Amino acid sequence: MPIIQVCKLVKRYPRPGNKAELFEAVSDVSLQIEAGEIYGILGPNGAGKTTTLEMLEGLTDIDGGEAYIDGHCVNSKPYDVKKIIGVQLQANEYFDNLSLRELITLFGSLYRRQIDPLEMLSRVHLTEKADARPASLSGGQKQRFSIACALVNDPKVLFLDEPTTGLDPQAKRNLWNLVRELNRTGMTIVLTTHNMEEAESLCQRIAIMDHGKVIAEDTPGRLIQQHAPEPPQAPLHGSLEDVFLVLTGHGLRD
Amino acid sequence: MSPLAFTIAHTLTKIFLRDRQTIIFSLLFPVIFMVVFGFVGNQDQDPIKLGIVNNAPGSLSDDFIEILETNPLFSVSEGDETSMRQALISGRMTLVLTLPAEFQETDSSVELGLLVDAAQVQQLNLIMPVLEQSLLAVERQLRNSEALFTLTIEDVQSRSQRYLDFLIPGLLAFTLMQISIAGSGFNIVEYRRKGILKRLFVTPLQPGDFISGIVMSRIILCIMQISVLLGIAVFFLDVIVLGSYLSLFVIIFLGAIIFLCIGFLLGSLAKTQQSIQAIGNLVIFPQIFLSGIFYPIESLPNFMQPLATVLPLSFVANALREIANNGAGLMEIPVDMVGILVWVAISFVAATRFFVWKEVAA
Repeated sequence: MPIIQVCKLVKRYPRPGNKAELFEAVSDVSLQIEAGEIYGILGPNGAGKTTTLEMLEGLTDIDGGEAYIDGHCVNSKPYDVKKIIGVQLQANEYFDNLSLRELITLFGSLYRRQIDPLEMLSRVHLTEKADARPASLSGGQKQRFSIACALVNDPKVLFLDEPTTGLDPQAKRNLWNLVRELNRTGMTIVLTTHNMEEAESLCQRIAIMDHGKVIAEDTPGRLIQQHAPEPPQAPLHGSLEDVFLVLTGHGLRD
Repeated sequence: MSPLAFTIAHTLTKIFLRDRQTIIFSLLFPVIFMVVFGFVGNQDQDPIKLGIVNNAPGSLSDDFIEILETNPLFSVSEGDETSMRQALISGRMTLVLTLPAEFQETDSSVELGLLVDAAQVQQLNLIMPVLEQSLLAVERQLRNSEALFTLTIEDVQSRSQRYLDFLIPGLLAFTLMQISIAGSGFNIVEYRRKGILKRLFVTPLQPGDFISGIVMSRIILCIMQISVLLGIAVFFLDVIVLGSYLSLFVIIFLGAIIFLCIGFLLGSLAKTQQSIQAIGNLVIFPQIFLSGIFYPIESLPNFMQPLATVLPLSFVANALREIANNGAGLMEIPVDMVGILVWVAISFVAATRFFVWKEVAA
């Protein structure tokens, strides 16, 4: 039984330039994500990855289709869903003038939980920054702190929206290790990414989205076998990036 | 509203209090204003600069000039006609009095010439009676005659009403509006832009708890800031509050709710920090000029008065002024109280009805 079931999800927005006309930013997206999986959603900019996540998180109204997380209907009971998910958004700014310790406590109280901020920070290796302000953190530390905030309610599902965008290679690898650590505790993790290496090494299964639709879904290995361009110069080393470009084309996206 | 609202209020108060710079800057303008007007109001009236062209040198004119010189209302200087005319035109003189050549004897009536600058005609209306009075007194003194009447002036208002006394309640109301609209509206736009609202509402937080929390913390902060201003006015500028402080703070409390809600409404309408500044000014500026902050509403053109009196700032400023200046209780200002309560209702409904947290308006 999948922990996340998404069935023909639709989101419509007014078309930029012609507000009267609607277009489907997310079009009939169906996904089944198993408990304990690290699931990646790949796609060029504007493919609908973030919109899909935001519908699952209850941040954006669902215009069509249905979604269930751990048996709770996202459409009708968004507050039940919010209680069992953890979310790291692309924008990771927080209130100025509060320390990490105070912010974690605040987020705990939003779930009506008393939590030990230091314990939460130690899970993301930020204990020594407990009294720092978020503005003083490096990019990688900020992302780890965002994840700590997303863990305060012991979520069953953790959503990460482009967690490694803008990080240097060290910080990136450090974050991958953190994601693996969390996954080992049984947490289901759904992440979006542009980074093929990340998807390949981290995700057990991936979906590739383009123009609001899922155009391929499988394990990274099988996607490479099926879609890597022929003739492969080094058959066993065809990369997921090649697959991505074959599927979504070479045109530049904004 | 749940206990969570209080947690939010507590946290936000901590955040706002740590932002010292904003707090200080929000008080800087009203404090400077108060102090400047405090000094202006306390200064004695400048003496009227009176120039005299003496065409009749002699003991009578000397006595006449001497008596005028002893009058504190005038600062007297003498000169010939051309130089005095020049002084008048350049503004160094307010009035120039010409004593004609026949100004020699006390038993015949002579005509004194008075040169004025027409540009100061408004001031003249005030000065002329004073001048005539003074001339009359001079005449009596020279003729050694008793005045037929003397006037004993008794002030029925037991205290003197200075401009500062009029200004301070209005200035408090105005500052309350400023910091409340900035506090809620500008904050909401900022939080939405930074994605903080989104982050908060991806948790099970209910919008009602969040709004109550931010309103509570802002009210606490507003009351602290207004108390500082009131303290400066009372302790350093000798402004007298005749009514009860409790009534005063009830009005401040209700006023804070009105302007915080208006701020939320503007914050929901405005998409960017720039547009909230513009929309905010659209709401703030007309009220500065129309709500009787710096001068009474009665001095506005007649057709504007009905509009001006129903503005929220007018009710709040007037209520504060009635309490502070005239010692009114809340029951004695029913019109203002009804006006304020109606605005509380309107602004609260509008703010909650239009509150937007979900999507950053594209």
